[in-house]
This record gives sequence, structure tokens and C-alpha cells, in this order.
Amino acid sequence: MTTAIGRAITAVSGVVLGKEEQIRLAVACLLARGHLLIEDLPGMGKTTLAHALARVFSLEYRRVQFTSDMLPADILGVSIFDPDSREFQLRPGPVFTQLLLADEINRATPKTQGALLEAMEERQVTLDGVSRPLPEPFYVIATQNPVTQAGTFPLPESQLDRFLMRISLGYPSAETEIALLSGSDRRQQALTMKPQLSTAELMQMMLLVEKIHASADLIDYVQRLLGYSRDGGLFVAGLSPRAGLGLLRAARAWALLAGRDYVTPEDVQVVLGPVTSHRLQGSAGGTTAASIQQLLEAVPVVRRS
Amino acid sequence: MKSLRRTVSELWHGWLQRRIPPSRQVLLDQRRIFIFPSAYGFFFLLIAVLLFVGGINYENNLLLGFSFLLVSLFLMAILHTFRNLAGLKLVAASMRPGFAGARGALEVRILSAHHAHLSIWLHWPGAPAEEVSVEPGEEKSLWLSVQLLRRGRQHPGRLRVESRYPLGLLRSWSLVDLDHTCLAWPKPLSGGECPASGGDDDTGVNHQDRGSEEFEGLRSYVAGDSLRLVDWKSYARGRGLNTKQFSDPAEGRLWLEWNRLPGHDPETRYGRLCYWVLQLDQRGERYGLRLPDGELEPGSGPLQRERALEMLALSGESG
Amino acid sequence: MARVYQVPRHAFPWLISGALLASLPHMLRAELWLSVVVPLLLLWRIMIQRGRFAMPGKLVRGMLLLGLAGATLYSHGTLLGPDAGVTLLVAAFALKMLEMFRLRDAYVVIILAFFVLATAFLFSTGPLITIYIGLVLVLMVAALIGINHPESGVSPWRHFRLSLTMLGQAIPLMLVFFMLVPRLPPLWSLKVEQQQGKTGMSDSMAPGEISRLSRQNDLAFRVEFEGDVPPPSLRYWRGLTYGWFDGRRWSQAVPPALDRQEYVRFANGVSPQWYLQLLADRGDAAWKYRVVMERSGRQWLYAMSVPFSDKADVGLARDLRLVRRTDLEATYDYRVTSYLMPVAVEGLKDWERQFYVALPSGSSPRAAAMAQQWRDESVSDAAYANRLLRWLNEEQFYYTLEPPLLGQHTVDDFLFRTRRGFCEHYASSFAFLLRAAGIPARIVAGYQGGQLNPLGNHLQVRQYDAHVWVEAWLPEQGWVEFDPTAAVAPARIELGLEQALAGFDEQTDTGLAAVLRSNPLLTRLSHLIDYIEFGWAKWVLGYNQQNQLEFLSRWLGKVTPERMVMTLAAVGGSLMTVMLIWMLWRARRPGLKWWQREYRAMLRLMRKRGLNPPAHLPPAQVIAAAAQRYPRAAAALQDWQHCFEAAVYRPPAADPELLRRQLVVLRRKVARMSRL
Repeated sequence: MTTAIGRAITAVSGVVLGKEEQIRLAVACLLARGHLLIEDLPGMGKTTLAHALARVFSLEYRRVQFTSDMLPADILGVSIFDPDSREFQLRPGPVFTQLLLADEINRATPKTQGALLEAMEERQVTLDGVSRPLPEPFYVIATQNPVTQAGTFPLPESQLDRFLMRISLGYPSAETEIALLSGSDRRQQALTMKPQLSTAELMQMMLLVEKIHASADLIDYVQRLLGYSRDGGLFVAGLSPRAGLGLLRAARAWALLAGRDYVTPEDVQVVLGPVTSHRLQGSAGGTTAASIQQLLEAVPVVRRS
Repeated sequence: MKSLRRTVSELWHGWLQRRIPPSRQVLLDQRRIFIFPSAYGFFFLLIAVLLFVGGINYENNLLLGFSFLLVSLFLMAILHTFRNLAGLKLVAASMRPGFAGARGALEVRILSAHHAHLSIWLHWPGAPAEEVSVEPGEEKSLWLSVQLLRRGRQHPGRLRVESRYPLGLLRSWSLVDLDHTCLAWPKPLSGGECPASGGDDDTGVNHQDRGSEEFEGLRSYVAGDSLRLVDWKSYARGRGLNTKQFSDPAEGRLWLEWNRLPGHDPETRYGRLCYWVLQLDQRGERYGLRLPDGELEPGSGPLQRERALEMLALSGESG
Repeated sequence: MARVYQVPRHAFPWLISGALLASLPHMLRAELWLSVVVPLLLLWRIMIQRGRFAMPGKLVRGMLLLGLAGATLYSHGTLLGPDAGVTLLVAAFALKMLEMFRLRDAYVVIILAFFVLATAFLFSTGPLITIYIGLVLVLMVAALIGINHPESGVSPWRHFRLSLTMLGQAIPLMLVFFMLVPRLPPLWSLKVEQQQGKTGMSDSMAPGEISRLSRQNDLAFRVEFEGDVPPPSLRYWRGLTYGWFDGRRWSQAVPPALDRQEYVRFANGVSPQWYLQLLADRGDAAWKYRVVMERSGRQWLYAMSVPFSDKADVGLARDLRLVRRTDLEATYDYRVTSYLMPVAVEGLKDWERQFYVALPSGSSPRAAAMAQQWRDESVSDAAYANRLLRWLNEEQFYYTLEPPLLGQHTVDDFLFRTRRGFCEHYASSFAFLLRAAGIPARIVAGYQGGQLNPLGNHLQVRQYDAHVWVEAWLPEQGWVEFDPTAAVAPARIELGLEQALAGFDEQTDTGLAAVLRSNPLLTRLSHLIDYIEFGWAKWVLGYNQQNQLEFLSRWLGKVTPERMVMTLAAVGGSLMTVMLIWMLWRARRPGLKWWQREYRAMLRLMRKRGLNPPAHLPPAQVIAAAAQRYPRAAAALQDWQHCFEAAVYRPPAADPELLRRQLVVLRRKVARMSRL
């Protein structure tokens, strides 16, 4: 089963070149039932990545380009009275899909953002007082622009907490870029990819993630990381228990990707940055990433006293 | 004499109140732990003194040494007995009400932070003690029974936490006020007629949004009505938008009323009402409760009984 | 009937084994019936615990108690006194095990067990029994901890460990008490009637009594010298003198003209005239030493002449020997300075002279006649004495432990018929011959010689070193020592009893001791044991008021009761505070799990090898870095990492104890392989 995942990752790497780490993280995020926030400039291959993921995991895929005039109904859907059948008919919005690429989410108004984020959290949409479950699996890849431009509404911190991970793809390396330039259109290539896993298999993998063993010592390590983020004076505010749960879940998914049935401290360390960087704000000048590195270095992996 | 004793008792309780103020959560530390030798401790010391005298008289240094070892062991036992209680955390948890005159129970959670706390005895004044041990990092929950004397909320007093472990030569204890209360339902008093009124006089009330037991009829759609309740079928037949009406069944709805028990003192009234609540509940009937300081909408089932009893327990209490 | 108290299963093994082992020293020592009854009662108790038998009823218990009391009465003739009391205590203690109806009874049993345990010290005080009793105490405390933990399913070893910890913590405090608590003089006099009775010298001597002692191997005392050890020929340990002869038996006697006050001088008493005279006349200080005496049940102390001791309860008797105010009921330790015998300035007082020449009339007429004749032929008393010694040396006298019996005229019989004897025969005859010639003489009883233990450079004097010799008053010289035995068997003085007897073709039958002495390895071992026992006697058993004062004055300067109490409180208090702080401090930090300690040990090893991996590196990376640095150890490192991961992060599967041991083995292997 994990080999199928491995094949899927290899397949995606063939399309999104030189970003294997990010692809693995994106897959781990999917397996951990989280949502992914990609912070990047346009044209870095976000859409290609989302598309390729949807193809290899045979997920139903929609893309929504967020704009400032968007309303919640444009995402969630709306009930329309059909004069022919003389009945109200629900027209489900683009959110009713398995993989949603929410492009430039920070261009939408907070209200619209809130509607999507609520749907992400609840995994259901309530229209006219009737709750409709979203399809399973439900995976949102949201992107946002790092450069604050006019007419953007940055996501509030409480909303950012809803994303399990935040990653950025970044510019490709020189070789990758050459390969990229000399090859055919990546997005076209993504469209023709073959599925590697069925939805049912994917769901099974997701169940498997929960069964990955996290020993008492490992949980202790995670807790000490959380504790230090709160008491260490590195951040304005420490990590929430939800962040801790997310960290552990992401580490489990990462362990599964590595083909193990237990979590090791490496797993935690790998996912620590992606899981926590959007939830923390360094208190002393430097970048959040540097503070997270400090956090990592301050906490011994195995208790010493 | 009596007043002197009362003064002493008041002083003691005042001091305790300052020293160990009521709190839902108490960590036992040196300020809160008392320690004193037990009767066996004194016996043990007596043996040590006898050996000392023997050692002196027989000029036997080993006998003296043995006696000193016993005394040292006793002194070490002070530290160990103290330590066995120190660092223990007590948290007030949930509560299990009972009828006045019977017993209720309060849940106390015991947590150990660092080291094991073994053979700890807990009890409220006048109630049997329970023994518990917690290993490091462990949390245990203990239900301690409480004697309920009166109806209403009852404060069980200070919880006595006591330990003699390891040697039993000393007793270390603390009296903590966990700010815990136990609810006492009125004692059910049988007899008398059911102090209930049938619900005929209530028919005028509109029960539109409460329950959906019985279809009552249709009325024309008013903006704001839930679309869920719109009768779409009749709409399709061209009869316009109508909203479905549901209502509680009117019959079998009884109101147990305080006012129907005139001429009794309040506690008796509560007792009677309590009895009838239990009776009606047993028969599976729907009933409501009307007391001078509030009323409970009719209903049935365990939840309704629970609510009714709680209301009876707390009625008449200010605030 | 109320529910009978059940001793928790995890406490019972400690209780029953503790009870048995606590009674064991008494069972081995006391009457046979005790060593039958106690195990039976304990077995009964085990059966009750197992549910095979019920607790015996009141009647049965009453009968048993009566039976035990009766047996004690039969064996000892009394129920009082330490000996019978302890027997009864042990029996009643075992019986109490059958009467455990409540928790209270269990407490009483255990606290009684402490008492039973302690009473063993009344009868033996060696280092081994002390260790034994300490171990049994651990069991009893474990039992006490067990009955305070009423839950089931607890490991008995948990009690044992805690007991060991608590006693370990109590020992420093005990030592402080032991050193600092003021030693009081006995409140009232108590004696333990030991079965072997009193050993050593008695206050009278008849032929054959000293030779009985010579067959005993028991230790009499040990001597530790400041400076050189005197040669064997000077090691005459005077204990008492016999001044009265009834024809057969020499007895200790105080001249009737002398009152007790005059006879013995104690440090805090008045100094009689003779003592002042002695102080003025005594020669140079010859030897300084410390004697640690075993319990003798007598008040005589042994020392070389002329002994002075500065101990308050040691007095000097007029016949130049040390006595203690009370009998020695325990190991006793005293310092002595011996001076050379004074040269007589004044003669003997008349009554004294009469006392020391007195002989029963008509006793041994032949010897008396010979004495008269020879004295007349000699120029002086000294010349006469030397002629006697020469005669003893030249005639066919035999030195033997098994002399024939003597008739009514003991001296005549010995000198002219049997001529086979032991020191008491020679001393007795020699003193008789001196007295018969009108020379004041007395017999000195004590020990002669002693074996040097090279380890501690101290002498061990044993009962077989018991000896008697003679002192005669010579004009212008005073009391002069003569050893007629030396004239007959010089080897006795120079080489000891065994060599002396061998010279006369006789074996001592101290059997085992002889075997021990012949093997050099065993000799060294016995020296070692003796050395340990001497240290024990000196520092533990002999630590008395005197030593305490000496010890404390080194630290406190002047020792006053207030200072002692203050010191005790200060030292004891600070010790307790330190322990409290330690216990609380330890409580603040949870102990590391074994794998965390193992990891720490691994990191320590790496630091020692110059690798300093940061703490935040996951174990796998740490090991990978180490494996790169030490390719030789790479395999072992990887195995270690594998086991560590299995122990710490993998779902629990393997036996953790196995993993732990494997980790330790692998780490040692890594340590070996990574050594350059």
C-alpha cells in the first residue's frame, strides 16, 4: 500500500520538478486529513501540484479563484427555486468536491474566507438550515500571496489554525528550471496522469495513519516542544493544544510515508516547521522560521533530567 | 465552659480557613500538612527508650546503638510520612445526588505529580474512609459517600486526607475544603392525592416550535418559518405556501403544583411533590412541575425526572 | 464474630521470615524446647495464613501461654531476670503470632520483634551478629511497611527496597546519636547470667585450677601499646594476688588490719598514705598501653606493674593491681601507664609482714624443714630464693598440664614425690618455701605472654595464657617477682604454653587452635579476624563515657552537657534537613526511565570519544554520525540504535528487560570498538 503512495509521489515529482519534499508534505497533509496552505508567488506550480495530486489519488478536483467580489454562496452553493419543477433546488457550490484548490484565498472578503474555513473545519455545509456533508476525503489546498498587495484580506490567525500545514514551493533550482523549460507543458502533463490509488485505498491509508504508534516518550517529546514554545520566550504566543494534535497527526502521516508503523523524533522534526510556522509569530525580531529552528534546538529529543 | 470551647473551635476553623482556603483544587504542601505520631509511634518510642535504659544498665553499646537506630528510623519516618502526602493534588469532580436522610456521593480526583503516594485515606466528617494509592503521573478518581441531612445543596465539610504510610508510626493529614457540594433531593413522602392538574386550561397556548410529536394542521406561510416545515406537496398542488403545525399531545400532561398542597409546611410539600415525581416517572407519564420560584415544562424520561428533582432540591434557596 | 485481620499477602513473607530469624539467635542459645516450639508456632501461623487452620481459640492460647511460662520456670527456676525473661519474651512473641485479630496485633507483633531482636545483643556482641541483626531489621521494617499498605497486588520487594532506603538513611543519624548522646552510668545494677558463667581467674587457687584455664581458647583481653611492644619475658599481666594459704588453696585476702577505704584508691576518693608513698617512690614510666578487656563478670583488671590509670572507676589496690568499681558486664577498655617497681624505702609494716609469712601450722613439714635449713645456709633472702630456683631447674621437675593428684601435704607431695606440675604447683610450692623461711611472699595471678597480631600490632591474651607467679619482699628492694615456672620450663615464658609443653613431650589439646596456627594462610586470616574484632571492641563496644569525652573534647574543647546537647541538636538537625531537602528535591524531578539513562550513558560515551552531538538531534542521526566517525563500531552502533528504537519508539513487543540488557551489552561493545 505504501508502495502505491510512493509511486504516486514519484509520479507527481515527475510533473512538479525538484519539489519532492513539498510533495511529500502535501501528501502527508492529505493523509492526516488536514488542509494545506501554500504561500507563494503566482506561477510556482501550485495549480500543477494540486492537479497532479488530484489525478494520482483519483480525487474529484475543482479550482476556485478567489476575488474580492465573491460571496459565500459562490463557494458553498445556493438553493434556487426552479419554476419548472416548482421546487427549490440546491445548486451545490464548488466546495462539494474532494480536492479544492482555493487560489489566492486572501483576495476574498473575510466573510467568504470564513465560509470556506468553516466548511473545512466542519466538513459539512449548512444551507437553509440543512446540513450537507462534504465528500470524503475532503482536501483543501489554499494559496495565498506573500506580498501584501492592495485589496487583500490577510487570514486572521485563528483561521490560519485550520490549516494543518503551510508550505511554500519557492523558485526551482537552475537544473530543475532547465528541465522545466525544455519539457512540455506541465499542466497538460498533469491532466494525462494515471491514477495510482483509488479513493477507497486512500481512505484506508487515512485510517492507517491513526493507528501509527506514538510511544509515551515521543508524546513526551511533542509535549516538551509545545511547552517550550509557550515558556521559552521565543514566540508571542505558544502553540495551542490543537497545534499539538496536528503536529502529532502530521508526524504519524510522515511515518506512514516512510513505511513505518511508529513515529520517530525525526518525523516530528520534519513536520514541525510546516505545521507550526503559520501558527507562531517570533517575538524577537528574527523570522519565524529561525525561531522555530531555535525551538527545535532547545528541546532535547530524549529526556536528560 | 461551653462558650470557651466554641471560641476555640471558631478560632481553629478561622485559622484553617486562612491556612487552607476553599478551592476546587488543592495541592498539598508543607503549609497544609500536619504530622503527629500515632499511638504505635509512641509505643515504638517506648520500646526504644526501654532498650536505651537496658543499654545503659548492661553497658551494652550495641543495645544503645539499636535504640538509636530505632529513634533515627522514627525520625526518618517523619520525613517519609510527610513526603507521602506532599505533592498530592486533589480536585473536586462530579457529584451524585441523593435523597435527604440518605447518602450522596462526591467524586474527588487524586493526582500525583512526581512520586508515588501510597495508602492515602480520604473521608468527609462522619463518613467512612476510602483508601487509594497513586503512582507517579497517575490520576485516580474516588467516589466518597456523604451523609445528606437536609434538602438542598450540602457542603460536606472539610475532606480529611490522611496517611500513615510507610511505617504507621506517624500520621500525616490535611483538612482540605474542596468547595464541593452535594445535592440532596427532598425525602419522598408518600400519601395524599396527586397534587396535579390536567392540562385542559392550557390549550390556547401555541406550541409551534416545541417538539414535533403530533401533526396539528397547516397554516399559511409566514416569512421566517423554516423551509423544512413548508408543506411542499400542497404547494405543488397549487394551494399556496403553507407551514406544517405540530404540537405536544395534550392529554396525560400533568402539572404537579406546589399550590395544590395547602396546609402543609414547605418541606412536607417538597417531599410530597418528590414522591409524585417518582411515581409519575415510574408510570412513564408526562408531567410538569410548578413551584413558587419557577416551573418545569412537562416532559418524561430520566432527564425530566432529574430536572424535576433538582428543582425540588434547590427550590426555596435564594439565588 | 468480626472478620479476622488478614496480613497482606505481600507483607506476610517478611513478617514470618523476620519473626523466625529474629528468634533464631535465641533458639540457638537457649533451651532446646524453645527451638522446637517457636518454629512450630510459626508454622502454625503459616497454615492459618494459607487458610488451612483457623486461629486458635482463647482457651488454646491461654493453655499455650501457661505451658510456655511453665517451661520457662522449669528451665530457669524463675520468670524474672534477663535470661528467663528473654526466653519467655521469645516464646510469647511467637505465640502472639497466633493472636492477630486486628491490625493492632500486627503492629504489636512487629514492635515486639524489634525488642526480641535487640535482646540478642545481651548475649553476643560480635560484628557478625550485629550485621545479622541489621539484616533481620530490614525484614521487619519491610513487614511494617507491608501492613501499612493494605492494597493487594503489591510487590513485596517494593517494601524491601523502601525498608533498605529508610534504614540506610537512618544509619548516619544513628551514628550521630551514638557518638554524641551522653553515656550515663548504670541506673541500677543488672547482670546477665550467662550459661558459661564467669571465665578466667577466680579469687582463689588450688592445684589444677589454672591448668583448667589453659585448655580454654577464649580471649581474655587485647593490649595495644603506644610505642614498642615489650618482649615476652616482660609480659606479666597482674590481675590479683593471693595472700592466704590454707595448706591446699591460696586465696585472695585483705589483711584484717586494713579497711577497704585504705586498701583501694580511686581517682575521686581520698589518697591513703601508701599511695602517696608509691607516687613518690615509683620508677620511670616504662609502658603506655590500652587494654580492651572482654566481659569477665569480675572487677579485676589486668596490667603490668606498677599500673596507673586515670579512669574514674578504676582504682589501684594496695597489692599494686587495678580493680574496677563494678564487675565487667561488657567489653571494657582502659588506658594504663606502667611504672617500674619502686625501691622499698621503708620496710613492711609488722602486721603486713605477719600476714605475708603466715602458714597453716603442721602443713608440709618436710618442705618447711628444708626451707629453714636452706635459709640458714644462705647469706641473704635473695640468695635463698635463687638457690630455690636453681634447685627447681636442676632437679627432675616436669612441666605438664596433667599433674597427678596431691595428698594432704600438697607441697611435700609435689616437691618430693610427684614432681610433675603446672605453674600453680611451682608458684604455690615456691611461695610456701619462701614463707617457711620467713620471707614475705604472695602469689600473683594473671596472664603471661600474649600473641602479637602483626596487623594491628597488638597482643591478644587468651585464657590459656593464664599464669601464676610469686612476689617476695626482699629487704632494700621491696616486692620482687619470681617465676618458678620459668626455672622449670623457660620456654613457657619465651615461647608460650604450647612450645613449653612440647618440650616436655606433651600436646595442648586446644586442638583446632593448633591446626589454625600451623597453616600460614589460616594464621593470616585469623589475624585479620582478630584485627576486625579488636577494632569493633575498641570503637563500638568499648566506646564509653571516657572515650566519648576524649573524642568530643577534640572538637568541642571543653565538654559540658549543654554543649553536648547543642552539638547533638545541631548535627542531628542539619542531617535531617539535608535529607529532607534531598527528598523534596528528588521529588521535584521525576526519575529518568531506564532507556533515558541508557541514552544518557551513550551520549556520555560519545563525549568521552570526542563526539559532542547536540541534544536535539534524534538518536538515529546521532548514531549515524558516530558510525561515520568510528566505522569499526558501526555495526554495533546500528544494532544499538535498532534496539533503542524498539525500546523507545516502536510499539511494545519484545521483552523490555531483554532489550535493556542487550543495549548495555551493545554499548559496551561500542565502547570497545571505538577505542583507538
